[in-house]
Amino acid sequence: MSEDIKEKRFLTIFKRPSSTEGIWSWITTVDHKKIGIMYGYAAFFFLLLGGLEALILRIQLAKPDNDFLSAAEYNAMFTMHGTTMVFLVIMPLSAAFFNYLLPLQIGARDVAFPRLNALSYWLWIFGGLFLYSTFIFGSAGAPQGGYLAEEIGWLGNAPNGGWFGYQPNASFKYSPGTAMDYWALGLQILGVSSLVSAFNFITTILNMRAKGMRLMRMPVFTWMTFAVAFLLAFSLPIIAIALFLVTFDRQFGTTFFLTEGGGDPVLWQHLFWLFGHPEVYILILPAFGMVSEILPTFSKKPLFGYAAIVFAGFGIAFIGFGVWAHHMFASAISPVAQAGFGLSTMVIAVPTGVKIFNWLGTIWGGKLNLKTPMLFALGFIAMFVIGGLSGVTHSIVPADTQQTDTYYIVAHFHYVLFGGAMFGIFAGLYYWFPKVWGKMYNEKLGQLHFWLMMIGFNLTFGPMHWLGLKGQIRRTWVYAEETNLGFWNMVVTIGVFVIAVSIIIFMINWIYSKRKGPEAPMDPWDARTIEWTIPSPTPVWNFSTPPEIENLDDFWHRKYDEDEEGRPVRKDMANQLLIDLESDGLNPKEHIELPNPSYFPFILASGLPFLGYAIIYRSLALAGLGLLLLLIGGFGWALEPIEEEEIGDVEDG
Amino acid sequence: MNQTHKPHPTPKQYVQIAVILGILTAIEVVLYYTESTVGVFTDPLLMILAVSKFVIVVGWFMHLRFENSLVNRFFAGGMILALFLFAIVMLERASAIFFFS
Amino acid sequence: MGDHGYPHEPTGVETRKLGMWVFLSTEILFFGTLITTYLIFKGRSFDGIKLEEVYDIPFTSVSSFVLLMSSLTMVLAHHAIEKSDQERTSIWLLATALLGAVFLAGQIYEFTEFYHKGFTLTVNIYGSTFYVLTGFHGAHVFIGVILLIILWGVGQRQNGLSLDGGMNLEFIALYWHFVDIVWIVLFTVVYLI
Repeated sequence: MSEDIKEKRFLTIFKRPSSTEGIWSWITTVDHKKIGIMYGYAAFFFLLLGGLEALILRIQLAKPDNDFLSAAEYNAMFTMHGTTMVFLVIMPLSAAFFNYLLPLQIGARDVAFPRLNALSYWLWIFGGLFLYSTFIFGSAGAPQGGYLAEEIGWLGNAPNGGWFGYQPNASFKYSPGTAMDYWALGLQILGVSSLVSAFNFITTILNMRAKGMRLMRMPVFTWMTFAVAFLLAFSLPIIAIALFLVTFDRQFGTTFFLTEGGGDPVLWQHLFWLFGHPEVYILILPAFGMVSEILPTFSKKPLFGYAAIVFAGFGIAFIGFGVWAHHMFASAISPVAQAGFGLSTMVIAVPTGVKIFNWLGTIWGGKLNLKTPMLFALGFIAMFVIGGLSGVTHSIVPADTQQTDTYYIVAHFHYVLFGGAMFGIFAGLYYWFPKVWGKMYNEKLGQLHFWLMMIGFNLTFGPMHWLGLKGQIRRTWVYAEETNLGFWNMVVTIGVFVIAVSIIIFMINWIYSKRKGPEAPMDPWDARTIEWTIPSPTPVWNFSTPPEIENLDDFWHRKYDEDEEGRPVRKDMANQLLIDLESDGLNPKEHIELPNPSYFPFILASGLPFLGYAIIYRSLALAGLGLLLLLIGGFGWALEPIEEEEIGDVEDG
Repeated sequence: MNQTHKPHPTPKQYVQIAVILGILTAIEVVLYYTESTVGVFTDPLLMILAVSKFVIVVGWFMHLRFENSLVNRFFAGGMILALFLFAIVMLERASAIFFFS
Repeated sequence: MGDHGYPHEPTGVETRKLGMWVFLSTEILFFGTLITTYLIFKGRSFDGIKLEEVYDIPFTSVSSFVLLMSSLTMVLAHHAIEKSDQERTSIWLLATALLGAVFLAGQIYEFTEFYHKGFTLTVNIYGSTFYVLTGFHGAHVFIGVILLIILWGVGQRQNGLSLDGGMNLEFIALYWHFVDIVWIVLFTVVYLI
């Protein structure tokens, strides 16, 4: 090819940062493990905020005709609760796992584009902070001529148009003030973050696998990460445009979704749900993946029907693109569409059912070890099935017309998102805790967390099924005494407090065990996949020698043979294998090159919130600042040298 | 960095392709002006021409014709998904107007 | 990453190239949404000025031709770097950027004329969808021109683009061609049909 062109010295204006300790090492990190940890902690913080919002909502609804919150404040609370939980809790908690685990599960050093990975994180955190800054800077005005023209307290100055921003309710006419602009622009920034992640993960899974790690030997969690990345990649552009259009409507006088100007409010719903439905599969598939790892480990049996689970996952993702208008059955869409989408929604239950039967088949006849991860995994199956069953009832259009906008729907999605996704995530948090921190969590506290959460969760969301069928409407800040809904609403509110206690127990367990917990061995669960073949806590270089894979569940096959009846028989050399793996893992013999840290993802990401503020406050100065940061970030990134951090001596580890 | 190097068109061939693209564009403009004579065939013809130009640029300039099938499938997948989803949205809106107005 | 023992790209596609193709596949959804929005409203009737009353097909045709030719110069630049002809690469890169800039200038001129005739962003839905759709495309062209100029600049500084720079060129070329094919669709759908 061309002769060697050396990069000129003066292009290397910025030396790559090199700190390994302290806050700068976190700000400039491109290490997937550190990024994963940052996602995890920040997401958990938002979980507490979102939970607080839920608590406040439930206090208001504990008794009829309550006046703890005004209607305006109530609207803001449920909007922020939903937006927070979806975009700032479940997605980033899943991202924490994708980031930490993906390279480990495929035997790689890091992801395909490490700086892009850091960019995703900083974009996300800046987006979340931008969204929440609405409480400080934002304002939610009362709509002209509306009856909510009362004082909007501090709690009310936040996005209040629902997490789905239906038009024209969330338009400037009916939602004046800046709050819904914070919502639209905040979501826009968050969308870019996830989109960038998606490219990274797709490319990583395709191109960074270790030798012998064929696609059909990858762990199920990796496969689900793959499916989620496709869902993100193809659905986020749609909502990005929708958010641009609504920002134009609110800020620049267009009428895309406003009938006065010939616009179409239902178009908003189409565009939102074209993203929104794949989004819910984005929320659940990671948990599916985690549970598919945990069940086999704690049943001492291979996953039943690996190929079926993988294909079902992709089936769900694919069909998931074809069901979006089931969120619009009551919205003046044509009857043809209702019929079509009703059918496709029923169809999607099939691959989901396949997975459930396969999980049951995995546990069946296994030697169950009921540690906390397994409890949450089993709880996941039970809760998700309940949520899935209520979901199928929504697919019947006439029935849905009664259910829609009632608490029956609220029950459904909390069963699948909390009982499903969150339980799955808790299972994963306990399962991989020893790998990440090198310590073991306290099992008794874990069990207490699980049972309290199960009880609290079902107390909270179980009654919502019949409250909904009895007619309690969603998104409404009071219900009248005459409706006789007070008793069960009080039960629901008590349930939320039980959940809160269980979360406090989890936090205590986490914080204590991380500091003072007993040291965890490399392979505490006798697991099956290769992330368990490296020392705990994970060394910064991951694998000291690139692994060579020969089987699905490669690690298991190195420890166990099968007897004539297919039962696992531990190999004699298994214990020695563990000792060798650990000592090799801590002592890399070869020269290892890791991608260097960089300031520029942080700098580039910081530009976007300024652009957001610039649009809201029509400030050229802020726009200039935002663009400047983007340019500095972009140029620095493009021009910084690609030195690689070298691991020579092990002591630095 | 070197993958199995697939055959590249030569600069001469690239120019020939560009000439074809230019001619197709010229035909499109002519069709626009002769709409009254061509009548109902105008729009389909215009679409065929646009699709042809699209395929030529993607296939030869973007080299997709000579690339690995994985990359082909990504692009085709995106196209098919987009066409499918947006066709449904447009049909739904059109049929809603039909049913409700 | 320079690690021995790690298989190099099991798919056979260079990692950054693969990433770019994934990105472009998703951009299809991005522009698809904009085009769909445009088409949904195009069929409906409303008051006010229409695009047909203000556009100038000959002018836009020339603009479109210019952008098409920029794809030719782009591909010639790519060919040149494959043959390690740094001088030609540089010339063709600059030519592409220039043609892109000419296209943008044409767009700006066109839009200014439209505004003077009363076809604005907020005059009616037709105006809104038109400007948002073509505006987004224009923004993409603008970014492309910047990227081309930067690449050209790096080549000048270093007395040529290195091997790695060669991949960067391919990378940007794919983006540039994509911007061109979007316009191929836009020209037909918005102006001609």
